[in-house]
Amino acid sequence: MRGILNTGRTIRQGSYVERKNSPAYREEAASLHMNQVDMLDLELEEGSHVRVRSDQGAVVMVARPADGLARGEVFVCLGPYANFLVNPETHGTGMPDFKTTPVTIEPTTEQVPTVREIMERYGGVGYED
Amino acid sequence: MKIEDVVCTFCGCLCDDLVVEVENNRVISVENGCTLANEKFMGDHRLKSPIRREGNGWKALSYDDAIRETAEILLDADRPLLYGWSGTHGEAQSVGVHLAELLGAVIDNTSTVCHGPSIMAIQEVGHPGCTLGQVKNRADVIVYWGANPIDAHPRHMSRYTTYADGFFVKEAFKERKVIVVDVRKTESSAVADEFVKVERGGDYAILSALRAIVRGKRDLIPKQVAGVTREQLFRVADICINAKFGAIFFGLGLTMSPGKYKNIRNAIELTEELNRHTKFTISPMRGHWNVYGSNEVFTWITGYPYAVDFARGIAFYNPGETTSVDILKRGECDACLVVASDPGAHFPRACAEHLARIPTVQIDPHVNATTHLATLQIPVAVTGIDAEGTAYRMDGVPIRTRKLFDGTYPSDFDILGKIYEQVKEVKGS
Repeated sequence: MRGILNTGRTIRQGSYVERKNSPAYREEAASLHMNQVDMLDLELEEGSHVRVRSDQGAVVMVARPADGLARGEVFVCLGPYANFLVNPETHGTGMPDFKTTPVTIEPTTEQVPTVREIMERYGGVGYED
Repeated sequence: MKIEDVVCTFCGCLCDDLVVEVENNRVISVENGCTLANEKFMGDHRLKSPIRREGNGWKALSYDDAIRETAEILLDADRPLLYGWSGTHGEAQSVGVHLAELLGAVIDNTSTVCHGPSIMAIQEVGHPGCTLGQVKNRADVIVYWGANPIDAHPRHMSRYTTYADGFFVKEAFKERKVIVVDVRKTESSAVADEFVKVERGGDYAILSALRAIVRGKRDLIPKQVAGVTREQLFRVADICINAKFGAIFFGLGLTMSPGKYKNIRNAIELTEELNRHTKFTISPMRGHWNVYGSNEVFTWITGYPYAVDFARGIAFYNPGETTSVDILKRGECDACLVVASDPGAHFPRACAEHLARIPTVQIDPHVNATTHLATLQIPVAVTGIDAEGTAYRMDGVPIRTRKLFDGTYPSDFDILGKIYEQVKEVKGS
């Protein structure tokens, strides 16, 4: 399905922000919050893996139902999973479109990468805590 | 040992009423703090020593070697970028700006991906703001626009707005009206008297409609504006006009959405219109605990609040050109010093990829996403726990953070001061 990705803070993201390599942070930062009808359409259950793609690339996340989102709207807390998808264009303001990234979403059986694995994909070298 | 009136160095609220118990150079309990404060003070996940990337692995090195190598990296670069700064104290920020000037570097802080557009709007039309104490004691109408304080600033409502009794607002919960404007339902919208659900990208239109209504042009308003009914817009405008004292707080729902700084300009101009009827103020919900301080420090040294480019030998500022995301996206900088922030996690992919391609040094207490992209990381003390210094609250009030114990880590100020001295030795004064 096609959707628009919105990002923002969550209390759990803030709680684990100084432990970005922890499973708890990954669980929160890789959660794709979706409208429940959209989840039914894609035959997704809570915890199903989804491949989320934008013009920047694709990353695997975990689908979670959310009450406050209309159909076609998805939300991911700010962090490396959301930013994998955000276009760096700032339209001369310095600020990318963090709230309005067009994405497509499809079910997958692939694994969710760790923060370290995402950074290694960027060309980094993982540091073990 | 119990320490009272401790300042929390997490978000822009800078709550200064925490009671923290310390035992053997470790925090063992926190009272009065929110979830974020508890995690911050009780957290014990520091990087143990400086580390350097070597091939496909990492090696520990001494502070002296790490400082020397950082100075060498910065001196070797043609266009270094010094980024971050919002998670450290003003004294360290000040050294950073002087270092940038000496190097002819670009220095930018996290407002660049936060309230940078708010500052651009304030530069155009001014800032009718006030301190949070004024809001607490006087405001009977609160508007949260594109902000979710329950998640991002968990004590904002209990210390200053919805639940905070004030001098002229004796029973806040009954006497204050709270309006939340957002594109989605949130924990904060659930406690609002009026939730205005805007279509995505519709904030500018809603602000314009409210300005027209406040100006007395109700007949111009169509049945619906960006998903909001005319009746609700009239109701919201009437609540605001009839307020004794209103306060708008806005978040990244305005700064990051289509329209960016023009949204903020429109919100400020709505505040101006409302001041023809009553007293109204507007303020950004600043995120990092000292991001406001980074704007203050940058401005009093260079004249500009962020994205300051010293390549010409003088301070130059042009958001969209000298902002970090644009510089990294263009692959322009050839070295980066990251201080007290995590662009690996919070910048778009293309920017993070460039950080991995160039020598990147990170000064930060914790292992974060940027660690994996960096060439070198130097761990430091955490301001407000084992380092102290000045911070600016989201309303511009400077508050001195406190050191709770003498730890073993040097502060950002110590490390940056030594890097500055070594650069100065080569560059001259």
